[in-house]
Amino acid sequence: MTDLTPICALGAEAPQQARFGALHLAENPGLGLASLALRRGQSAAEPALPDLVLPGPGGWAGTAGLAAFWTGPDMWMIEGPGQAEADFAAQVKAWAPGASVTEQTDAWAVIEIASSAGAAPLEALLARLVNIDLAGFGPGRAMRTGLEHLSVFVIRRAEDRVAVLAMRSAAETVWHALTTVARRQERGGP
Amino acid sequence: MTRLAGGLIDRSRVLNFTFNGRSYAGHPGDTLASALLANGVRLMGRSFKYHRPRGVVAAGSEEPNALVTLRDGARAEPNTRATGVELFEGLTARSQNHVGPLGFDMLAVNDLLSPFFAAGFYYKTFMWPRAFWEKLYEPAIRRAAGLGALSMQADPDAYEKGFLHCDLLVIGAGPAGLAAALTAARAGARVILADEDFRLGGRLLAESHLLNEAPARQWVAGLEAEFASLPNLRVMRRTTVWGAFDHGVYGAVERVSDHLPTPGEAPRQTLWRITAKRAVLAAGATERHIPFAMNDRPGIMLAGALRAYANRWAACPAKRVAIFTNNDDGHRTALDLAAKGVEIAGVIDPRPDAKPLGPYPVYAGSVVTDTRGRLGLSAIAVTREGQTQWLDAGALGVSGGWNPNVHLASHQRGRPVWDDAQQAFLPGAGIPGQIVAGAAAGKGSTHAALHSGAEAARAALQDLGLTAHLPDLPRAEDGAAPPHPIWHVPGKKRAWVDFQNDVTVKDIKLAHQENLRPVEHLKRWTTLGMATDQGKTANVTAIAVMAELTGQSIAQTGTTIYRPPYTPVSLAVLGGGDTGAHFRPRRLTPSHSWAKAQGAVFVEVGPWLRAQYFPRPGETHWRQAVDREVLATRAGVGLCDVTTLGKVDVQGADAGIFLDRLYANAMASLKVGMVRYGLMLREDGHAYDDGTCARLAEDHYIVTTTTAQAGPVYRHMEFARQCLWPELDVQLISTTDAWAQVSVAGPHARKLLERVVDGFDLSNAAFPFMGCAALTVCGGLRARLFRISFSGELAYELAVPARYGAALMARLVEVGKDLGATPYGTEALGVLRIEKGHAAGNELNGQTTAQMLGMGRMVSAKKDAIGTVMTRREGLMAETRVLVGLQPVDAAQPVTAGAHLFTEGAAQGTATDQGWISSACYSPHLGSMIGLGFLADGAARMGEVILAANPLQRQEVRLRVTSPHFIDPEGGRLRD
Amino acid sequence: MLIPHPLLGLRDAQEFTYLGDARLLDRPDGLAPDAAEAFADYVYLRDNPAGLHRELWFHEQGDRSWLVVTRDTVTHEILGAELARDVALARRSK
Repeated sequence: MTDLTPICALGAEAPQQARFGALHLAENPGLGLASLALRRGQSAAEPALPDLVLPGPGGWAGTAGLAAFWTGPDMWMIEGPGQAEADFAAQVKAWAPGASVTEQTDAWAVIEIASSAGAAPLEALLARLVNIDLAGFGPGRAMRTGLEHLSVFVIRRAEDRVAVLAMRSAAETVWHALTTVARRQERGGP
Repeated sequence: MTRLAGGLIDRSRVLNFTFNGRSYAGHPGDTLASALLANGVRLMGRSFKYHRPRGVVAAGSEEPNALVTLRDGARAEPNTRATGVELFEGLTARSQNHVGPLGFDMLAVNDLLSPFFAAGFYYKTFMWPRAFWEKLYEPAIRRAAGLGALSMQADPDAYEKGFLHCDLLVIGAGPAGLAAALTAARAGARVILADEDFRLGGRLLAESHLLNEAPARQWVAGLEAEFASLPNLRVMRRTTVWGAFDHGVYGAVERVSDHLPTPGEAPRQTLWRITAKRAVLAAGATERHIPFAMNDRPGIMLAGALRAYANRWAACPAKRVAIFTNNDDGHRTALDLAAKGVEIAGVIDPRPDAKPLGPYPVYAGSVVTDTRGRLGLSAIAVTREGQTQWLDAGALGVSGGWNPNVHLASHQRGRPVWDDAQQAFLPGAGIPGQIVAGAAAGKGSTHAALHSGAEAARAALQDLGLTAHLPDLPRAEDGAAPPHPIWHVPGKKRAWVDFQNDVTVKDIKLAHQENLRPVEHLKRWTTLGMATDQGKTANVTAIAVMAELTGQSIAQTGTTIYRPPYTPVSLAVLGGGDTGAHFRPRRLTPSHSWAKAQGAVFVEVGPWLRAQYFPRPGETHWRQAVDREVLATRAGVGLCDVTTLGKVDVQGADAGIFLDRLYANAMASLKVGMVRYGLMLREDGHAYDDGTCARLAEDHYIVTTTTAQAGPVYRHMEFARQCLWPELDVQLISTTDAWAQVSVAGPHARKLLERVVDGFDLSNAAFPFMGCAALTVCGGLRARLFRISFSGELAYELAVPARYGAALMARLVEVGKDLGATPYGTEALGVLRIEKGHAAGNELNGQTTAQMLGMGRMVSAKKDAIGTVMTRREGLMAETRVLVGLQPVDAAQPVTAGAHLFTEGAAQGTATDQGWISSACYSPHLGSMIGLGFLADGAARMGEVILAANPLQRQEVRLRVTSPHFIDPEGGRLRD
Repeated sequence: MLIPHPLLGLRDAQEFTYLGDARLLDRPDGLAPDAAEAFADYVYLRDNPAGLHRELWFHEQGDRSWLVVTRDTVTHEILGAELARDVALARRSK
């Protein structure tokens, strides 16, 4: 175990969190991430991820301990909750030895957004940030799109839970964008 | 007071406001225009060119005259239409475009000079002498002719953007739009209903007719209640759909808090990008007037607007009112006003058989030929068969028929089509996915509007595979006779066609005389239809006048087409929240927080914020810090966060072949555990980007790109992978942000690294120059080490997971104290690389080739890589300019990047140009400024003295040509 | 504009980066004897049709797919979109 002290994407040792009415936003520094890309000709059925079938285009699938979302043709991001300090890419490579696996844990700032009042406040927030048709964006969907000129992944983990992944270096920008809209929403804005 | 009974205003509350400093009172539900009229104010502004007194003409967003500056201080907003401003407590407004009080404008002298301001005066009057334009004419015109002025202060309000998706977008909430929304929403479709007004109902609010024998507002209230219960319907009041873009994308602005004194926490406005599978355009119609002599006095309005003010806002500009109409609709105004107790001086109707519809006098076969009243109408001249009589009237309603609001149907070049029967331009070919309904489609009766709206929604949903049933619609009036075709009343005096731009019938005649007859020429020559109202009340009339002059039909004359926006949109809302520090995304390096704590000065490098230098106490000039950082690196060891370089993970069985084709030099032959410099070319043979390729395994490389080109190079690599060589087994992903990468450079670099690696052999034999390895540091942290050098010193780049970047920096500085470990920023980085003669962005500027960079031999002729064929072009092969070093003969002289190089004594011009200086800096090592540049036959000119010319600063400096490698040209230090 | 992504459905054109004529897929063989002429055409010559145009778009803020989009340059109507990789592979097998 290293004696260096890590910091979160937003620059502090402890993850940032904030509550705005029904919405709770929190940095998730514990999520291990690794990309998995099929080699040419390899079948999507080949990687043997425990209890996990790799989802199709625009999809997210997961269990409590492991999840995956589609990021492009023959390519997925594998999520390992609580695996950020481990060599998660090595673990994924062990499950999928024939595929190309790349460590992505610290490439992303992960912000988890939860609503205590159902989908409505969450969808109102998303409508002011990303150009996604929410009618086709129920639980189990994941989309890469633009947010404030940044490229982000938006994952619908549940009716009332969404994750936003933005490049780690731009964590401050994306946090500002999310909290600005959430704050307005709380204070009786539109 | 000229407040009538009834209306949709809340008399239980009073709202106080000021206009030109005077206090007035109105009620919730009022607009600024209706409240002013109700207070007896007719004079609201001065005209654009002639500074003539003007009052409100319309009751909606088409208003050409009543433009005011709303609010004060930083929130002052010029050119706001009083007709669209919802009254709020404490509102302040000022009239525009006058010097002195509104009632006595000094610039009204322009009205006497009007012969000089006729059509095309901009082009004719001020042509010469040329110098007078900038110094005299333009400032004078700008002062005299114009609209309101900006506050010149920063906008204190917030704006935001948003995205909505729907099956059906209904634009306009009048009878057609309401029926469309009801039909579609009941069918379960996702519907958005948007209207620029703050109340639903559109024209229904302005009329006295009954729906099912009850006031129309009762039907609207019932619908509003049902709408509120439908989760699939989003009703957007105060929302203007201002543009129809490709494939069902519509632009809309919601005025979230313009009706409040200040926005508070809310944004002022929201820009919505609405993606609609189908749309119903139910934008209604705009009344047109009939130009006659002196038709611009305050009190002369559109007849439908007069009716709207009376019915909806219980306001009337005068106690005695006349109507001039060529159609039955004008008579309705007389009826409604009479019913409200307003005295009707008469209805002047050019139709010889015109009959009264109620208790008011009709002047059949007559026209209005003149008016009186300096600051407001007092009397009109009514002429029948050459006989004129004057009638006293404080207001005149004019109706020349209605123009369908076809704007959003023509945003994709759809040309409106003239319909003789209706005497109006109707939507032409239109926009895919958009159906026009109601008055906008020429279905102007309430009955026709309701039914066409419902039918449009049903058809749109059917297109989407949804079944909708037509709702029971209320019984409504169904009268709509076309207007009698009279377009203007001939006369000697001026008759205004376009009030906002002061364009008269005479101007159109002049344009005709001068052969500027096509509508597009007419528009530009006379300025017809320009500025905030875009000629909504003027254009069709002007076209008809031109048609009369040319003897062509209106259909032959045609119309200009409309572009977005439908009504003015503020630049602030188009910019959204992207202001100040959030104008664009900002990227921070992993060691940012640490660098900040060290007091680093930061610099923007594209989106990145990087440490520029680390000043120490006592250093008063940036150069002191930079020189110290450079010398400390060359003498001991320096540390720099180089995370911003793009990093791409390349894997796959064919990764080596792929990189061989991407880089000009060979990469497949690179041994595992080694790094190689790589140069990428564009397909046209010019240098594109450079970086390093590290081979971690047979099927695994990490390549780096320059900071600036990280995005484009990644896109280029995906292009090569997917489009050029899809048969190769290659997978790509960016890892730029995943790893914090620190450059450790200087003679003590190895010694320092030995203190953090976990038992890794750093000896030259075990880990030579250009080696790479995966290892662990600081007690088990996974890391990657590359022995590469940008500074010319013994150097490494150490990468750890980004979350440890700041801690690693701190650790290296701490354990390297005795070695002189010194953090350095981008300035020192630049100096170190210039001293070493390494090319960077200034040299890889898209105009240079491998040969010019001194890397011509790297371009392999044995393989087919991107750009290699084109490098062999004759012109590029003949290029003799190559990278050289440049040093001033007099060490005190500056070297300036961008300066051009000339042979001493030669004339200076493009024909004698010998090259240019691409990079320059002060070299603490050499004690003078130095430069890198491209010089013709440079390789053969070592030691020669040449001249650097910088004519912008009248600077000429003698420079000696040297090797670009000012430091350790043999490269011994790197390999130690 | 909306681009009908073959895997993700209609996506806003703001997510894409435009490159140009899909003929860029047909990169000549750099080792062929006529490579110099072939590359001069490939790099510099483009048709500029008023009408149907097959062109390359990159889903930059999306799945990073290069697409071949068939668009009418006069009306902006989009008649279809394919993964450029599939188009390129199909050409090879011919």
